[in-house]
Amino acid sequence: MADVSPAEEFLELAGGRVHLLRGGVGEPVLFLHAAGGAGQWLEFHGLLAGAGFEVIAPDHPGFGKSDDFPEVEAIDDLVYHYLDVLDGLGLDRPHVVGASFGGWIAAELAVHSPHRIGSLTLLSAAGLRLPEHPVTDLFLLPPARLMATLFHNPPPADPAQAAPAPPPDAAPDLDAIIAAYREATSLARFSWVPFLSDPKLERRLHRITAPTLVAAPSDDRLIPVEHAKRYAATIPGAVYAEVADCGHAMYFERPAAFAAVITEFLASHPLAESGVSR
Amino acid sequence: MKFSFFHLMPYPYLPDDFDEKYDSSALTYPNANFDPKLGSALYARYLDELEYADQLGFDGVAVNEHHQSAYGLMPSPNLMAAALARRTTQARIMVLGNAIGIRGNPLRVAEEIAMLDLMSGGRVDSGFVRGIGWEYFGHSINPTKSRSRFNEAHDLIIKAWTSEEMFSWYGDNYEYRYVNLWPRPLQQPHPPIYIPGAGSTETMRFCAERKYTYMSVYAPTRIVRRWFDGYRQAAADLGYVPDPERIAFSVPVYVADTDEQAHAEARPVIEWLYRKGLKQTAEMVTPPGYMSPGSLRGVLSSGLRGLGGDYDELRANGQAVVGSPAAVAERLARLYDELGGFGQLIGLFAIGPSTHEQVMRSAELFASEVMPALRPLGVAQETAIS
Repeated sequence: MADVSPAEEFLELAGGRVHLLRGGVGEPVLFLHAAGGAGQWLEFHGLLAGAGFEVIAPDHPGFGKSDDFPEVEAIDDLVYHYLDVLDGLGLDRPHVVGASFGGWIAAELAVHSPHRIGSLTLLSAAGLRLPEHPVTDLFLLPPARLMATLFHNPPPADPAQAAPAPPPDAAPDLDAIIAAYREATSLARFSWVPFLSDPKLERRLHRITAPTLVAAPSDDRLIPVEHAKRYAATIPGAVYAEVADCGHAMYFERPAAFAAVITEFLASHPLAESGVSR
Repeated sequence: MKFSFFHLMPYPYLPDDFDEKYDSSALTYPNANFDPKLGSALYARYLDELEYADQLGFDGVAVNEHHQSAYGLMPSPNLMAAALARRTTQARIMVLGNAIGIRGNPLRVAEEIAMLDLMSGGRVDSGFVRGIGWEYFGHSINPTKSRSRFNEAHDLIIKAWTSEEMFSWYGDNYEYRYVNLWPRPLQQPHPPIYIPGAGSTETMRFCAERKYTYMSVYAPTRIVRRWFDGYRQAAADLGYVPDPERIAFSVPVYVADTDEQAHAEARPVIEWLYRKGLKQTAEMVTPPGYMSPGSLRGVLSSGLRGLGGDYDELRANGQAVVGSPAAVAERLARLYDELGGFGQLIGLFAIGPSTHEQVMRSAELFASEVMPALRPLGVAQETAIS
């Protein structure tokens, strides 16, 4: 079931092109990726699609193969951007699943336009400002420490790349470095300050009307689990789930466990029950 | 050739385990390591050195801005310039520069430079810099706005200095309903502007269009040559050959009575500067958005991947000039040729943990024996291309 292969599409909006991957048949699920993972169709996406959903995974502005959308400067602009995406895709009221940075966007979207959200799933979402539980400054982490922060069990270095070690003065892969720098730049544009948060979001969460699942990994070293717990405690009727032995990389580290938690929730909240499918 | 004595005002008392324990002398280096008593004495010593440079006949004394760092103890260069305005008489007071990319209120910079210009009798040169990467972390300024903030602050400051009518300002980063600068600067239309360049063609064109002085940062000669040529080309595209004085070469300089003494004393302080003072992580140097993708590609492909720190290599690369007066004069004359000429030399004489006596002697020897030898270089006037 995990080998649902996606179709690649581009959605034309006034400010540029949105790249997206689409796979599976069933109720639509808009998946908003984390800061990493733009343009990737992973085992996790295949599992969601294979469970009977149409998974639609766009790249955020300035990520993956989406255009930069320079006028999208901050989180409020991202909300309007995704309202345009929903309209452009003809999605009236899909399931919305967002992870980390994408979870923040999903929460803001659900606050702004609760009627456009069939169900809401937040996977260790950013967005809350909890000074007593600060988010690790990923902008300052060197790559090796970033991996150790993101994973409960950091994957061993790819042996194909580890041996033989490249000579120290080998030409770097410029395109890869510049692509990564572009995505970091896009993330910083939206979230340098306030850092990965909207200080007003928490007091607006009561506006959310969709059935909501808040899920978190047991060992989140980037966004402390208190953030997920605050979301769960503040969004009306939200349910909370935790995936064991997993770090912030969530659907990269334990794709099957996360897919299972999410598909169970989505299956128990069919869009038809809320009267609108798309 | 014009010569200036540039000071970073470093805090040289790093612990013995600095190399193993800390990944930078800035941003995250704990300020528990700052001893206020030593810091107070350093300020007195460093201001004495700058004042002495004025007495020795340097054309300028130069300060700059850094934050949350042992590399440089001048969060406010304008405070140092104010102290120098009253204790120097001849030298230009060069603020190189105010980090207008990270300032919350650039109008304050316009006000302070205008004050300094009046206080110094029109001796102020006003540099503008974006602020170094780590300072966007330290002052919580979005680095993706760096270029936009710099450009807008510059335009606002120039207009505030030169407008004799109150105006309003509505920009992407700043909004003022009332701009009506009191006091206005003494120099007309405004103090000379200096801008550091590190390879950005945008900056070269920006400086050439406005006839601002383009100054290098520490980099190997072949790379600085490319920057200076880029500035000259940008001027040529605008139809003129720039006055060499608009091109300023920055380099650490250490002079002692003999070559042997100079190398023995300079090696540890030069290595301190590049290995400890400038120690920082890649993440601190280039926070996201601080560079455009094109500029990043240029830097990565130019091979400028770090400042190294090997003493002999740094000297060979023109990132430090060391020796007896004769050797330093000869080396700088050669660098003048290798760089296609320049009309200003901005020398860093107080390097890392060098002692007060070493700095004073180095400056004396430079002023009395090196300056006269190099003075005739780089004095052509700007000419139009016919």
